[in-house]
Amino acid sequence: MPTKKLPERSEITVIGGGIVGVTIAHELAKRGEEVTVIEKRFIGSGSTFRCGTGIRQQFNDEANVQTMKRSVELWKRYSEEYDFPFEQTGYLFLLYDDDEVKAFKRNIAIQNRFGIPTRLITPEEAKEIVPLLDISEVVAASWNPTDGKASPFHSTAKFALHAEEFGAKLVEYTEVKDFIVENGEIKGLKTSRGTIKTGIVINATNAWTKLINAMAGIRTKIPIEPYKHQAVITQPIKQGSVKPMVISFRYGHAYLTQTAHGGIIGGVGYEEGPTYDLTPTYEFMREVSYYFTRIIPALRELLILRTWAGYYAKTPDSNPVIGKIEELSDYYIAAGFSGHGFMMALAVAEMVADLVTKGRTDLPAWWYDPYRFERGELRGRALQMG
Amino acid sequence: MRPLDLTEKNPSKKVTIYFDGKPYEAYEGEKFPVAMLANGLYWLTTSTEGRRRGAFTFGPVPVKVNGVKNINGRKLVVKDSMRVERQRYDEFQEQIEIDEGKPILRYVVDVAVIGAGPAGLGAVEEIGGKLTVALIEERSWLGGDMWLKGVEQEGFGNPREAIEKLTNFPKNVRVFLKTTTLGVFDKGEYFLVPAVRNDQLIEFMAKRVVLATGAVDSIMLFENNDWPGVFRRSDALEVINVWNVAPGKRVAVTGAFPEEITPELDRWGIEYVVVPNPRRVEGEDRIERLIDENGNVYEVDAVIMADGRIPDINPITQAGGKVYFKRGYYRPVLDANHRIRDGIFVAGSAVSIKPHYANYLEGKLVGAYILREFGLEAEPCIYEEKLRDYEPVARPISKLPLDGFSSEDVQICGCGVTLKKVDDVVKSGITDLQIIKRLTHLAMGFCQGRFCLFNGALLVSQRSGTPMDRLDIPVARPPIKNVKMKVVAGRD
Repeated sequence: MPTKKLPERSEITVIGGGIVGVTIAHELAKRGEEVTVIEKRFIGSGSTFRCGTGIRQQFNDEANVQTMKRSVELWKRYSEEYDFPFEQTGYLFLLYDDDEVKAFKRNIAIQNRFGIPTRLITPEEAKEIVPLLDISEVVAASWNPTDGKASPFHSTAKFALHAEEFGAKLVEYTEVKDFIVENGEIKGLKTSRGTIKTGIVINATNAWTKLINAMAGIRTKIPIEPYKHQAVITQPIKQGSVKPMVISFRYGHAYLTQTAHGGIIGGVGYEEGPTYDLTPTYEFMREVSYYFTRIIPALRELLILRTWAGYYAKTPDSNPVIGKIEELSDYYIAAGFSGHGFMMALAVAEMVADLVTKGRTDLPAWWYDPYRFERGELRGRALQMG
Repeated sequence: MRPLDLTEKNPSKKVTIYFDGKPYEAYEGEKFPVAMLANGLYWLTTSTEGRRRGAFTFGPVPVKVNGVKNINGRKLVVKDSMRVERQRYDEFQEQIEIDEGKPILRYVVDVAVIGAGPAGLGAVEEIGGKLTVALIEERSWLGGDMWLKGVEQEGFGNPREAIEKLTNFPKNVRVFLKTTTLGVFDKGEYFLVPAVRNDQLIEFMAKRVVLATGAVDSIMLFENNDWPGVFRRSDALEVINVWNVAPGKRVAVTGAFPEEITPELDRWGIEYVVVPNPRRVEGEDRIERLIDENGNVYEVDAVIMADGRIPDINPITQAGGKVYFKRGYYRPVLDANHRIRDGIFVAGSAVSIKPHYANYLEGKLVGAYILREFGLEAEPCIYEEKLRDYEPVARPISKLPLDGFSSEDVQICGCGVTLKKVDDVVKSGITDLQIIKRLTHLAMGFCQGRFCLFNGALLVSQRSGTPMDRLDIPVARPPIKNVKMKVVAGRD
């Protein structure tokens, strides 16, 4: 069901209407730029509406900690300004042995250096935060009360609404088919609903990045592949039953929390791919139930309402690709979020808007350099779960 | 006899159960909501928003049984001295007993037939004896919706006698009653059909699958349409003809298809009034009156929604099928052999709404197609020919009196989604059903849209002017019926 008309021309065109594309358009429009988002299906339909809702600063390297610190500031600010659910209910990493504790102590030191109040707590303190936890095997926990979660639906819809108020155009049910390039300069895009003249293109398609790069004729090696990850939600239970995002690497690389609607949402490290298939599997339902009920035994008696799948658009080092591609004028990529697109989006929007409008940014965009793969300078793997 | 008993019950089965501390007469083996209804008690549970709910309309029915919370009251069977209490939807058992769990049962068959209504029974009759079959039925009886009927059915005559004839199965047919299918998964070599019976996981591995999963009653929108005492047609039929209990002393029949229930009410001498256009029901913990759109007031204690049936598209979309809109409802896109894709066949009211006998013939038809795929002799053309006599029922697309309702009192979905909540989003300019679903939680709860998605689509279509066939309809995800996490958590 096509909605709005494709404009004839737009200074900047963002391909992909997930949270990343929408917040980039929001930020650019807010800065007075003429911007259009082209989305193949509906806003959020790719990976955003399928995500696990978590927003954390507990990463294992300086760049991601800084990026996420800025993102959380923006999540807080915009959730108040635009009135959508974002709660700083924390992330609780359950740790089961000395090796895990050692690794997390190192992470905590990095996080503390940037003013993030993460600390190591006892199993008993963890149980005070989530009384339903089975802590019989837990030796410690890494706890940051300023991490949180947000509704992907309400947040993305609100950013889309306000982006439009700032003059951005959001065109749904429209698929980009080809680039119009003359002498290395982008002149426009051919879509399923006609041609748009444009000079600057931002590829925010995450799982579909390689297809858009191929259309653009990009030869730079940018390895982003889609992997199928699944999630589950249970029946709604009393609010406050599982406030933070609970993480357990021991039990299936699991993450779980309670949504604003009351259901327990989450996933485990059950990955398939690279693939564009998003069929939920029976095996996942078994795996996630096996692990979740070991972390919180009371979940045994809760009803599973449904499972679904989404993409982790992964790079070899699980860090995204953000920046300008020099072989085409003007082409930017903000993709390959490896499961962190939703949480990072607000800082990424600022980063990309800085790069497009000023050519530089104070945020650590260098860490996400698109040319690092070509140069063989992979980053340390970003801490990832699910 | 209890106030709403239609017949004398077996005195040797008589027991006492306690509901919120008070004793009630009940019968061993009876369904708990039926026992309470017979005693004139409709309100069994309370939604998270604090709305009183019974067991015969939409929404889950969690109750506390012998001190344990979050037990499905709809399926609860009466036992002597059982103590049941009301609870709110969001209450759950925090301290639990961890049992060993039951081992997984596995069956390998040629064909898994899901649903034992006339279509499923027709398919089994056609292929039984020639191929191995697992017949999987969620309810406790065979014959589906037809088993609920007391009056003669076209083509069949007496419905119960016809079903008894159809259920004399050959040896290679295994029947699984009270077994809930969770979905259909393609494993390449076979289809995996996981199901649950009495908290035990069963895995069926089948070369072909028949979805004879039937239709659901349309939920009507009016103020307090979730009130205790509002009945779906199928639930009213079940309490009358399976349990011999009346829905009320004086009932109102509403909707476009009252004749789907009135002959049964006549048969038992249950007093009723037909009210085609209800606007509101009122009462305390049960219905006391119904008010129609013209302001007429009817003193009734039960309301039956008989507004036609629509195919349950959830099993279809979960299994990878597409749907289209025709004759007033969404239905599966089928190939020339009645398949949604290689290996998965659909028959009966899951395809289109038509008489029981036509559904049975359609079951026979897909049975014949399956025999042919296995290289066995079959003549599907016989059934193709006979089915030409049956034009599927067209369901009128009702125009919702959207602005005539106090829409915060109209429940579009049993999970606390009011008509107002959805309508406000639509009126704000968002007309994509996919987005509306996620902003309002419509079709994201216990029934996964089985009872509410259609009305959501209707609302969007009516407000936006987008025809029903142009809406982007969300697909169902596994499990297609809710399952307790512990049932699938086991490892072998």
